[in-house]
Amino acid sequence: MKLGLKLALAALVVGLLATVPWWGSPVMVQFGINALILATLAQSWNIIGGYTGYPSFGNSVFYGLGGYGVAIAMVQFHLPFAVGLLLGVFLAVLFAFLLGLPVLRLRGHYFAIATLGLAEVMTAIVSNLEIAGRNVGLILPLLKGDTVFFELSLALLAVTTITVAWISRSRFGFGLIAIRENEEAAAVMAVNTTLYKILAFALCSAFAAIAGGIHAYWITYLDPSSAFDITLNVKMIIMAVFGGAGTIFGPVLGAFALSAISEILASKVTSLASIFFGLVIVAAVVFMPRGFADLVRRFRQQRWRYFQENIKAHRV
Amino acid sequence: MKNLTLLFATMTLLLGSKLFAAPIELGASVQLTGQFANTGRYYGDAYQFAVEKINAAGGVKIGNAREKLNLKILDNQSDVNLSVRQYVQLVTQDKVNFLLGPFASDFALADSAISEKYDIPMIQGGGASDQIFSRRYKYIFGTLPPASDYFQSTLELMGQLKPAPATVALLYADDAFDVSVADGTRKAASKTSLKIVVDQRYSSKASDFNSILSLIKSQNVDAILVAGHETEILNFIRQAKTLNVNPKLYSFTVGVPSADFRAALGQDANYAFGMTSWVPSVVLKDDYFGNAEQFANEYKKRFGYEPDYHAASAVGDVEAFVKAIESANSLDPAKVRDAIAKVDFDSLYGRIRFNAAGQINLPQTVVQIQKGKLVPVYGPKGLLEKPLYPMPEWGKR
Amino acid sequence: MQLLWQILVNGVLLGGLYALMALGLVLVWGVLNIVNLAHGALIMLGAYACYYLFTGFGLDPFAALPVAMVLLFCLGYLIQRHVLNLVIRAPMFNTLLITFGLEVVITFLAQITFSADFRTVNPSYAGANFVLLGATVPLVRLLAFGVALGLTFALWLFLDHTGIGRAIRATAQNLTAARLYGVNPRRLYALTFGIGAALAGAAGALYGVVSQINPYIGSSLTGKSFAIAIIGGLEKSIYVLVGGLFLGIVEALTALYIGPTYTDVVSFGILVLVLIVRPTGLLGRTA
Repeated sequence: MKLGLKLALAALVVGLLATVPWWGSPVMVQFGINALILATLAQSWNIIGGYTGYPSFGNSVFYGLGGYGVAIAMVQFHLPFAVGLLLGVFLAVLFAFLLGLPVLRLRGHYFAIATLGLAEVMTAIVSNLEIAGRNVGLILPLLKGDTVFFELSLALLAVTTITVAWISRSRFGFGLIAIRENEEAAAVMAVNTTLYKILAFALCSAFAAIAGGIHAYWITYLDPSSAFDITLNVKMIIMAVFGGAGTIFGPVLGAFALSAISEILASKVTSLASIFFGLVIVAAVVFMPRGFADLVRRFRQQRWRYFQENIKAHRV
Repeated sequence: MKNLTLLFATMTLLLGSKLFAAPIELGASVQLTGQFANTGRYYGDAYQFAVEKINAAGGVKIGNAREKLNLKILDNQSDVNLSVRQYVQLVTQDKVNFLLGPFASDFALADSAISEKYDIPMIQGGGASDQIFSRRYKYIFGTLPPASDYFQSTLELMGQLKPAPATVALLYADDAFDVSVADGTRKAASKTSLKIVVDQRYSSKASDFNSILSLIKSQNVDAILVAGHETEILNFIRQAKTLNVNPKLYSFTVGVPSADFRAALGQDANYAFGMTSWVPSVVLKDDYFGNAEQFANEYKKRFGYEPDYHAASAVGDVEAFVKAIESANSLDPAKVRDAIAKVDFDSLYGRIRFNAAGQINLPQTVVQIQKGKLVPVYGPKGLLEKPLYPMPEWGKR
Repeated sequence: MQLLWQILVNGVLLGGLYALMALGLVLVWGVLNIVNLAHGALIMLGAYACYYLFTGFGLDPFAALPVAMVLLFCLGYLIQRHVLNLVIRAPMFNTLLITFGLEVVITFLAQITFSADFRTVNPSYAGANFVLLGATVPLVRLLAFGVALGLTFALWLFLDHTGIGRAIRATAQNLTAARLYGVNPRRLYALTFGIGAALAGAAGALYGVVSQINPYIGSSLTGKSFAIAIIGGLEKSIYVLVGGLFLGIVEALTALYIGPTYTDVVSFGILVLVLIVRPTGLLGRTA
């Protein structure tokens, strides 16, 4: 499909979605907000994990910092929400730069573990900070009406996706992909790998932070374990991978699909929802590790052999 | 023939709609699985039991009819975010009339924002921390007495013991409820002659208390007060034994009244003090269950484990709704909300009435585990039974 | 001074327990390159195994320990053979995800099988202790320390001085070459993961005696084990003793001198520092 057509289609979908709060049920709006925020997280992870090939398990830090930026600004200093978002983004980007530098020197699973460690450290540090309400958390002012949050989340997802689309066609993006495929070669080809990696990290931190800020204000309550929820990391990664890491729309599709199924299960047979997630992860990693986008593309040629090929390529 | 059938059908429908009138929907999101399921199940089971009993007695009187109660319980898997979403679902999709609360202060704190957002009254029996009520929300009510008062009666008892304990170690977990307890306890203790020599906040997920225990032992503290969760307190007691820490007295905010806690510790549970806002005595009369003792027996028969104050509190929540609906004679949320604020009746849980902030005020009865049994030792009117004090050393039991 | 000595004793004994916890993880990670996020869940299963053996058959926890190890070995073998073997040559990141999925599944199954009630293993000597130079030493923790030393030594013997052990190490280093020598990698990987699971089972068996068991203890145990593994270093399994002891002592000191709410800050902070400064661990050779 031509790019122009794709963009037009995407714009149409966004326009349609924007009208949901007016005809959809409150539960649908609520589900929508959750799914949009998760999709933003998956998409932001896509930048550092999908395109650059650095699987970060610590994006929950940025999400949490965004949430706390909003919470501290609004609760401790009585500043407006927008200022809180800016504070959250500032904290997240600062963190990305300061800690990105040492941590991005690590490769593969060491990078993943380091970011996981950072997520744990931040949770523990924040639970000791008086200004953040320590482990008890902060209660934000109540804003009645979900429409605002829905539109904000939708706008955020749109901006994030447009950014990813831009990345995929820009010199910056090609540099990131080069880093993913072969970092040494990329460095030799005069790609400033350190700068590019840090920028990618900072970019994804900003989007994750805004998502966190919106979520915090919406839920009206924030404490370290919900703000820096470690399982969020795996959720956003699975959604991005399931949908197709390194593609423009993959993470969004993955996030919506998995959220929908999870929500249906949670409302009907609540206890099965958690095991569902586990089984999906196992199945996805075994049968379609390159995601849904890849599945769709190859299925046409290979049909059911696609799954077999995947297993053959990766098993011992 | 056709007209007759039509007439018959219409009459059946009309008659049926009178017989099977719309039940009153109650919704709750409870920790049925996940790390708080151990206590969360008390709420799920007790809500169900109460609704069954009330329906068996005829239901709720509104206008000229009696309506049945219908209960929808969702499992939030001990995840606060999920419980918030489930309450929104209950209100907007399942269109319940009223909400019953979850267990735990941090859940109640987050979930009450939903009841406030949608102007639907919620009565919860699982959260006691001050923050739930200090926001002055109108639609949240609580049947657990204030966290800051939890150790009040214990401190009073300590003042009457001989030889009186002089030094206290105050330990508390990192969450809304326990921090509230500690703040209140510190204030209350400052009005006595007790001196708090160890004042330690610990992480809610902690399983290792060796350092704190070693510190307490080195200071020869007389009394240890712990505000925490069951699993932490369990670890604390066992580690106190392995490190041979022998205070004259120790008291815990949770665990002691629960049967499975005592079972898990066996003999080591002896001498521990705790508190409960409820004792299953015949003195507490109830419209539906007879009295608290009958309730406890029936509950044990029905669910296979003994109820404690969590379960009683949950039953109290349901009964409070019934009384409020009947008093308001309507299902209008605002009217029922005002009626709840004015209720004042006796139930198996005790006297149910809410203060201006929406919280109940019941005194805590001090209990002690003596020879494997839970014994109330000090109530609002003073000494009930002789407490076993001071606690003999671990080696000499 | 007396207090400090007691804290150090506490720290060393905690370190022994920690080393035991992380041993299985280190084996599987160092040798198979599998980052097992389900490690804590396996420890949890080992704890339940010991609990049921103790309450059902009256088996003393230290006697139940080898039984738990055998049970967990079988489980680990099956998991590797039929699930993990399918993704072992994929990017390592995939094993992270799939083991996370396994952790969720195992925890869920444990919760519906065993219920959320917490259990303890309470043998008569659970609270026994003796005094050493003024510090109280809990007996069970000392024995756990001994078990940790014993198993670490046994593992080293196995890997360095038996045929199978050498085959495992060879396969880990060069799969193709090992195949040429007639090694069946599928069975070998399964065997290794099985041993890792067995070691987790051993840790679990003792865990129930010193702490309490419920289906949800897995994830925090995994996190701790990770920190221990990285801090010690993955090159040799004996390094896990260093990692465990270091972390145990640091945590005990932190709890007393900084505050009990700071132990996680310190543990994971050191993890991150070690990764940044010395990724091969405190003892590992710098690459």
